[in-house]
Amino acid sequence: MTLLEGEREVILKHVKEILDDRGTSRENLIPVLQQVQDKLGYLPDLAMQKIAAGLDIPTVDVYGIATFYNQFRMNPPGDHQFKVCMGTACYMVGGNIAIESFERRLEIREGETTPDRKFSLERVACVGCCTMAPVVLVDEEVEGHVTPTRVDGILLAFETETEKEEGKNGEGIEEKEERRSDA
Amino acid sequence: MKVITAVERYTELKTKAQEKVNSLQDKPLVRIGTATCGLAAGALQVKETFEEEIKNKGLDVRIQEVGCMGHCYAEPLAIISKPGFPSFCYGKVDEGLAKLLVDSFLENDDPCYEYAMVALEPNDIFPTFTDFPRDAYEKKIILEHCGFIDPGDIEHYIAHEGYAALAKALEEMKPEEIISEMTASGLRGRGGAGFPVGKKWSLCKDTPDEVKYIICNADEGDPGAFMDRNVLESNPHQVIEGMLISAYTVGAEKGYIYIRNEYPLAIQRIETALEQAREIGLLGDSIFGSPFNFDLEIFEGSGAFVCGEESALVSSMEGKMGIPQARPPYMAVSGFRGRPTVLNNVKTFAYVPTIIRKGADYFKSVGTSDSSGTAVFTLVGKVANTGLVEVPMGTTLRQLIFDIGEGIPAEKEFKAVQIGGPSGGCLPETKLDIPIDFDSLAEAGAIMGSGGLVVLDEDDCMVAIARYFLEFTQQESCGKCTFCRLGTKHMLDILTRITQGKGEMADLEILQELAEDIKMGSLCNLGKTAPNPILTTLRYFRDEYEAHILEGRCPACMCKDLILYYIVPEKCSKLCNVCVGSCPVEAIYTREDGLKAIDQEKCVKCDNCLKTCPPEHDAVIKLSPPVLPED
Amino acid sequence: MGKKITLTIDDRQVTAFEGEKLLWVALENDIYIPHLCAIKEEERPSASCRLCFVEVEGFSHPVTACTQEVYAGMIVKTRSPRVDRLVKSAFELLLSDHRLECAKCPKNRSCELQKIAKERKLKLRLTRLKPLEKEYAIDESMGSFVFDPSRCVLCGRCVYVDHQEVEVGAIGFTHRGLQRKVTTFGGGLLADSPCTGCGRCVEVCPVGALFFTDKAG
Repeated sequence: MTLLEGEREVILKHVKEILDDRGTSRENLIPVLQQVQDKLGYLPDLAMQKIAAGLDIPTVDVYGIATFYNQFRMNPPGDHQFKVCMGTACYMVGGNIAIESFERRLEIREGETTPDRKFSLERVACVGCCTMAPVVLVDEEVEGHVTPTRVDGILLAFETETEKEEGKNGEGIEEKEERRSDA
Repeated sequence: MKVITAVERYTELKTKAQEKVNSLQDKPLVRIGTATCGLAAGALQVKETFEEEIKNKGLDVRIQEVGCMGHCYAEPLAIISKPGFPSFCYGKVDEGLAKLLVDSFLENDDPCYEYAMVALEPNDIFPTFTDFPRDAYEKKIILEHCGFIDPGDIEHYIAHEGYAALAKALEEMKPEEIISEMTASGLRGRGGAGFPVGKKWSLCKDTPDEVKYIICNADEGDPGAFMDRNVLESNPHQVIEGMLISAYTVGAEKGYIYIRNEYPLAIQRIETALEQAREIGLLGDSIFGSPFNFDLEIFEGSGAFVCGEESALVSSMEGKMGIPQARPPYMAVSGFRGRPTVLNNVKTFAYVPTIIRKGADYFKSVGTSDSSGTAVFTLVGKVANTGLVEVPMGTTLRQLIFDIGEGIPAEKEFKAVQIGGPSGGCLPETKLDIPIDFDSLAEAGAIMGSGGLVVLDEDDCMVAIARYFLEFTQQESCGKCTFCRLGTKHMLDILTRITQGKGEMADLEILQELAEDIKMGSLCNLGKTAPNPILTTLRYFRDEYEAHILEGRCPACMCKDLILYYIVPEKCSKLCNVCVGSCPVEAIYTREDGLKAIDQEKCVKCDNCLKTCPPEHDAVIKLSPPVLPED
Repeated sequence: MGKKITLTIDDRQVTAFEGEKLLWVALENDIYIPHLCAIKEEERPSASCRLCFVEVEGFSHPVTACTQEVYAGMIVKTRSPRVDRLVKSAFELLLSDHRLECAKCPKNRSCELQKIAKERKLKLRLTRLKPLEKEYAIDESMGSFVFDPSRCVLCGRCVYVDHQEVEVGAIGFTHRGLQRKVTTFGGGLLADSPCTGCGRCVEVCPVGALFFTDKAG
C-alpha cells in the first residue's frame, strides 16, 4: 500500500516515541505493536520494519506476530467499526443473521472496509454480553438484541449524522435521539 | 521498640476502612451496577438520570458504581439504601424508573414496591434473596461481594475482611503451612483442567531459583463465558490478594495479570486496584512491614484463544507467537523466561483469600469429596434467568437450569446443555441429574471447562452447534501441529456438508475416527479437546445427524440450506403489511387475493418476516425439508 | 550429557546417554521412526508433525519420540495398532494439504513423504479425506532455486537454518491456524527479502517445496 503524503513522517515519529518509551527487548514486541496500532489504527509495513530494526529481530518475525494475533490489522480501518459478536449465545440467536444484514447493507464482506473507508465490519470472539445476544459493538458501544431491522436503524443513525454534518439540516435528529434512548 | 505486626497494621487499615464505609450509611446511597453487562444494558444513562434528578431536586444522596451481582437478565440494576428502610434492589431500571425512584423514594418515602426486585437486609416488609428459590442452591464464595462493593475503592474491600488473609499468611503462616492448607482444601484449578493447586504451588516452591513468577490467566476466551471478567470488574482485589499469597508461598517477587484486550473495563479496574494497593503499601517493598516484596503488572493479550493454554500464554508474553510447547518441562519448573512460574486462573486466585482466612476445612465442607468448593457458571442461552451463578460442586445440572435458571422460556422444550465451551460437550436431558464436578462431567464426555454453560432448546440444531464450535476451534487453532491444523478443518468440512444436506452416512464414521485420532494425537489441550462437541453430539444426538443426511431435514429448522420460509395463507391477514416492509430483499409480495407470499428465489432466509409477523397472526413458518406444501 | 544407559527398542538392547531424545537414539541405531519436523540441535523440539509416535511401557498413551527422553530400562515399541493408526491419520492429513503429483516433482524418489509411505506401507493418496486445495503462488524469483508452498509440510527446517544457522532472517512462520505458512516479510518475493541465496534451506527441505533449478547445476 502506498502511503499518503506526510504519513511516512507520522509513522516514523510515533514508532520512535514508542520504542524510546518501551525499550528494545524482544519481550516488548507485542506491547509495542499494540501501542503503534493504537496510534496509527493499523500496522503499516514501514512501522513493522522500524520496530524490527529497533528490537534487532528479523522483519519477518514481526510480520509473523502481526499476522498471528487477531488484534492486529495491516490495513487502515473504517471511521466506524462494526464488530459482530460470534460467541455461542449470539450465534444461537442470530449473530450470523446480523453479520449477513451488515454485509448486505454495506455491500462488503466481513473483514472488509467500505471503499469510502467509512465503515468496517468484522466478527469478534465473545465480548461477554451473552445475556443481550445477539450483540454488535458499534465502535466501542454495545448494542444488544440486534435484528436485521436494528441493523438498518444503526446505519440510518450514521447516515443522518453525516447528513447533519454535511448539510447542517436538522432532519433526522429525532431518529438519532431515538436510537440513543432505546439502546 | 515495639514491633508492629502485619496483623496490627491490617487492623489499623480495616478500622479506618470500616469507619469510612459506615459513614456512607448516614445518608441515602444509590448503587448502580456498571460492569460490562450493566453498561451494555444502559447503566450509564441510568446513572446520569439519577445524578441529574438528584441535583435538580437538591437532594443529598451519594451515587456509587458497583460491579455485577450476577442477575444479568435484570440489568441495569440499582440498589437504593435510605436510612430507616432496608436496601432495595431494582431491576431493568430505565430513565423513567430512575426519575420515579428519585421522586417517590429518595424525595418522599415510597420505595415503589411494585418495581422492587428484592430487599438486601432481613426485614418484615419485603422478600430478600433468601426468599428466592435459587438461594437454596446458591453458595457465594468468590461472588459474595460482587455487585455490592465499589470495585474502584480498595477500602470497600478491606472493610469486608479484604487483605486479612494476606496479613494472616505473612504473620502466622510459613510457606509450607500455606501449601498444606491449600492441599487440604482440595482446591483444583478453575481454568478447566482441574489440577490441584497445592501440588502446583509446592512444585514451584521446591524448584530452586532466585527468580520466580506468578501469572494470573485472565485470557478468558470461551465463547459464552464471562465469569472472569465479572470477577475482575466487580472485585479485583480478591484476585490480587490471592496472587500475593501465592507469591509469598513460592517466593516470587513479580507477577502478571494476562488479560484479553477485549476487556477494557476490567483492565481499567485492575489498574485502579493496583494503584490503590501500591499507595497503601500492599504492593511493592516490605508488604505489611514484612521482608516480602511483590509487584504486579498487566499484560494485554492480543486476541488469540490459544493463549489461554499456559505455554502459549507465556510464549506470547515473551514476544513470540502464542504457540503451545510440548511438556515437560512444566510451568512450575520452567515457565516465563525459563523460570519457575505459578500460572492460575482468575477464579482460582479469587478462592485463595477465603481458604486462608476461613481455613481449609471450611472450603472442604462445601462441594463434593473430589471437587471441593463452588463452581461459577455463566448461565446463558435459552434459559429464563441468564447471569452468573455460584453453586457448590455436586449441584446437579437440572437444579442449575430449572431451579436457579427457572427453565426454558417461551414454553419451549429443553434439548441440551453445552458445558465447557469449544472444549466441552453437549449433554441431553438424560444426563441432567449428574452432579457438577470435574470427574462426573468428564465421564459424560463434557468438561468443567472454565464455566460457560449454554442451554439449548428445540429450535437449536445439534449438528449446527457442533459445527459452530468446530469452526471456532479451527479458526483459533495456532496451526502448529498436524492434527489440530488439518484435522479440525476436515471435520469442519464434513459437518458443513452435512448441514447443507450433502452428507453421506460414511461421513459419520470418518468423523468419529478423526475425532478420536485428534483427541489422542494433538500436541496441546486445544486440539485434544476440540473433538468433544462432535463426539458428544454423535453420541447423544445421532438421530439429528441422520435426519440431515438421509432426509435432507433439519429437525430444529436451523440449517439454512435445509429450510424455507412459508406464509400460511389460512393465518395471513389481508389487512396487515408488516412482513412486506420488513423484508430486506423485497421477496415478499401481495398475491391477487390480498394475502402475502414469499418469492423463494429472492428470499435470503434472514428470519425478519417471522420475527415481525404480529403474534395474533403468527403466519410465517419454517419448513424442513425445504418443500412447499401443495395447494 | 548424562550417564550411559541401556534401553530396549523393538526387543533390541541399545545404549544411549541419559536425557537424549528417543527419536535420535532410535535413528542412530538404524531403527526407523517416521519424522519430518525434528531438528536434533533444537533444545525444545517443535513436535508438530505428529508422525514419530511410539509406545513406551508404563505410559497410558503413545508418545512422540522427538520429545521423549530416554532412561535406563526403558522399553519401547515403535509399532502398535494405536501408533499405526495415529501415524496413518497424521500422514493422510499432511497429504491432504500437499500437492500430490510425485511424477512431476523434482524430489521424486528422494522425498521424505515417499520414504515414510514405503517404510510404513502407507498409501500415497487420500483414502478418506478430500484434498484441501488451497491457492499458492510459486516463487521463482531467486533463479537458483524455487519455493513452491503447495508442497510445504510446515516442518520448519528451512526456518530453523535461516534463523539459527546462517542467521539471515529472510523467511519465517506467519499467520495462524490453517493459514500458517512459511513466507517472507509481507509475503513478498524471496528476491526482495534479505535472502542471500545460500541455499541451506533448500538442502534441508524434506519434500519438494524448496528445490534447486537446473541453472544452479
